Amino acid sequence: MFALTSSALATACRRSLSTAAPALASLYNPTEEHELLRQTVRAFADSEVRPQALEHNREEKFNLELFRRLGSELGLLGITVPEEYGGSGMDAVGAVIAHEELSAADPAFTLSYLAHSMLFVNNLAVNGSHEQKLKYLPKACSGEFVCGMGMSEPAVGTDVLNLTTTARANDDGSWTLNGAKMWITNGTVSKDRELGDAFLVYARTAEGPKGISLFLVDKGMPGFEPGAKIEDKLGMRASSTSGLVFEDVVVPADALVGEVNGATLCMMRNLEIERLTLAAMSLGIARRSIEVMNNYSTERMAYGKPLREHGQMKAHLANSYAEYMAGRAYTYEVASRLELDSYGNQLDTDGVKLFAADMAKDVADRAIQVLGGYGYVGEYEVERLYRDARLISIGGGTNEAHQNNMSKVMARIQQFE
Amino acid sequence: MAANGAFGRVLVGVKRVIDYAVKVRVKPDKSGVETVNVKHSLNPFCEIAVEEAVRMKEAGLATEVVAVCVGPKKAQENIRSALAMGADRGIHIETDEEVAPLNVARILAEVAKAEEPSMFILGKQAIDDDSNQTGQLLGGFLGWPQGTMASKIEPVSDTAVHVTREIDGGLETLELSLPAVVTADLRLNKPRFAALPNIMKAKRKKIDAKTPADFGVDMASSLQTLEVNEPPVREAGIMVGSVDELVEKLKGDGLI
Ligand SMILES: Cc1cc2nc3c(=O)[nH]c(=O)nc-3n(C[C@H](O)[C@H](O)[C@H](O)COP(=O)(O)OP(=O)(O)OC[C@H]3O[C@@H](n4cnc5c(N)ncnc54)[C@H](O)[C@@H]3O)c2cc1C
Repeated sequence: MFALTSSALATACRRSLSTAAPALASLYNPTEEHELLRQTVRAFADSEVRPQALEHNREEKFNLELFRRLGSELGLLGITVPEEYGGSGMDAVGAVIAHEELSAADPAFTLSYLAHSMLFVNNLAVNGSHEQKLKYLPKACSGEFVCGMGMSEPAVGTDVLNLTTTARANDDGSWTLNGAKMWITNGTVSKDRELGDAFLVYARTAEGPKGISLFLVDKGMPGFEPGAKIEDKLGMRASSTSGLVFEDVVVPADALVGEVNGATLCMMRNLEIERLTLAAMSLGIARRSIEVMNNYSTERMAYGKPLREHGQMKAHLANSYAEYMAGRAYTYEVASRLELDSYGNQLDTDGVKLFAADMAKDVADRAIQVLGGYGYVGEYEVERLYRDARLISIGGGTNEAHQNNMSKVMARIQQFE
Repeated sequence: MAANGAFGRVLVGVKRVIDYAVKVRVKPDKSGVETVNVKHSLNPFCEIAVEEAVRMKEAGLATEVVAVCVGPKKAQENIRSALAMGADRGIHIETDEEVAPLNVARILAEVAKAEEPSMFILGKQAIDDDSNQTGQLLGGFLGWPQGTMASKIEPVSDTAVHVTREIDGGLETLELSLPAVVTADLRLNKPRFAALPNIMKAKRKKIDAKTPADFGVDMASSLQTLEVNEPPVREAGIMVGSVDELVEKLKGDGLI
């Protein structure tokens, strides 16, 4: 009797991981296009992305060639961009699917994808002018350009509205940038610190939290140099992180994105999709960790029976699955109502990341526990996933920043739906 | 050499099957295998057939690629996969009956008569029943030449192709006059990943909805499934220390 129930449960479990039950399938794959997107990205992730992950993690090397294929072969780099600019015209759910599926294979590679496709490409698609989009987006969508976004600085992160990089208006309408950025994903794209091709850079144009503007800065502009390449990260090692240095960098008038002193809105809009897709990356990490521990616990024997038949191992498996599904439902529910050019969804875009980041970290941690000594070494994958998972409660906003933001929004609400 | 567009239309057969990665289970009543809530996909050999046809179109040899599927309502997803890979339109012959090779070949033959392609490419077999019959039956019904288990298809003129087949002991190359039926083997090509822009375009491509009755075909099978069973569980092997010991064991078990 007992054996029968548990094996029926195992069957159900395996199925939910390969195909969601029909009712929920529409939340995760609302249309046939979403379903096909998931299939194609998963197939690519399994056959092309996962096999290179361990080696690139060990060498702390960004896989530029594979990255370009996301554009040229799959059309993923401009996932949310209208077709007229070389994109694929998908919505926030599409972006979540792509990040979730890629991250299940290699979170570090996916972080580089996110910095390019969400922080630069989607940011410009939402906030830029028609001419700016025509100039940058086709190349960024095809993979010819690798791009990033610079907000954080050596001395400001959470407190980003106090940033100190400056842009001074010149008489001819051009701007002169001075200062430094830190922690910039895709800041450099090679071991010998070759700069990424183009960046969206936030800089101060007036005093106070509203005195911030957004600029397009290209590789090769005089005075624009790479800062230190940040080595020895705990995780996300196959994603390149660097400083950027601006010394009297003159950018033309048409490099200004949006209004002068109007970048706080651009920043807030873009942070919402950034946090949502970081949550999606956490889902990928959690799903893969569950797959690994689930299969291992069937095969590995202890005291004459599979690990999965030992009570404490059951807790690791079941709790992980339930938490993963809760995070997944929350993330997709928020994605399904996020308009890409909207602002005002902060409670839930912070909320999904706050929940999913720690969920993935806990699930990866349990996966290591289930695998025992094998879990502690790179070859068994969960060791890397565990280290990569750790970033998501820091990058794109720390857990504490999310708690502060959410508590502020919640103060205005008396009753919840 | 074949001139531009020389092949005209190319039809491709596509079948919905249980995904290759799913561990198949027999139903408790032994009437078949579990299919409810099980992941299905486009048969991998059909994917190769679609890829080949799309490459012919990209090379300017074919003018149109049409994906033809006999299967349940949900098979529309799989036709959509073929459209996302680059097929131009689809024909869906909807049925909930078992899709046995004989009836499918009868329907495909009628489709071919209506569409008049110069080539009909199918997978060499579907990974669910592994029949490896549909292409051969189709060639028979149409009276067209057939090149089965193709590892290479090369145009030689506007009216003929060379088809290389992997056979025991080497490769065989046949010259087929068109129209012809070709079935795809594993090494014919490596199918592409459907690119997202093409997935979005696939939504706008047309799928004609038909039924077997439209082609005068009765789906009742002449074969009856009595019982389906799991394959016997393989017993664990043993390690032997030497060739002598191996020979002794085999003799002892009466195997040699
Ligand atoms: C791998 C990686 C990639 C990154 N990529 C990018 C990128 O592409 N572009 C970019 O602009 N940035 C990027 N970042 C930077 C990232 O966004 C910041 O690290 C993050 O915002 C935190 O800022 P900080 O590191 O300066 O920490 P700090 O802001 O100094 O925070 C230190 C600690 O203090 C806490 N704290 C700060 N303020 C408060 C408060 N008011 N109340 C309570 N606690 C508080 C924080 O929560 C944290 O625990 C990246 C970072 C990493 C590690």
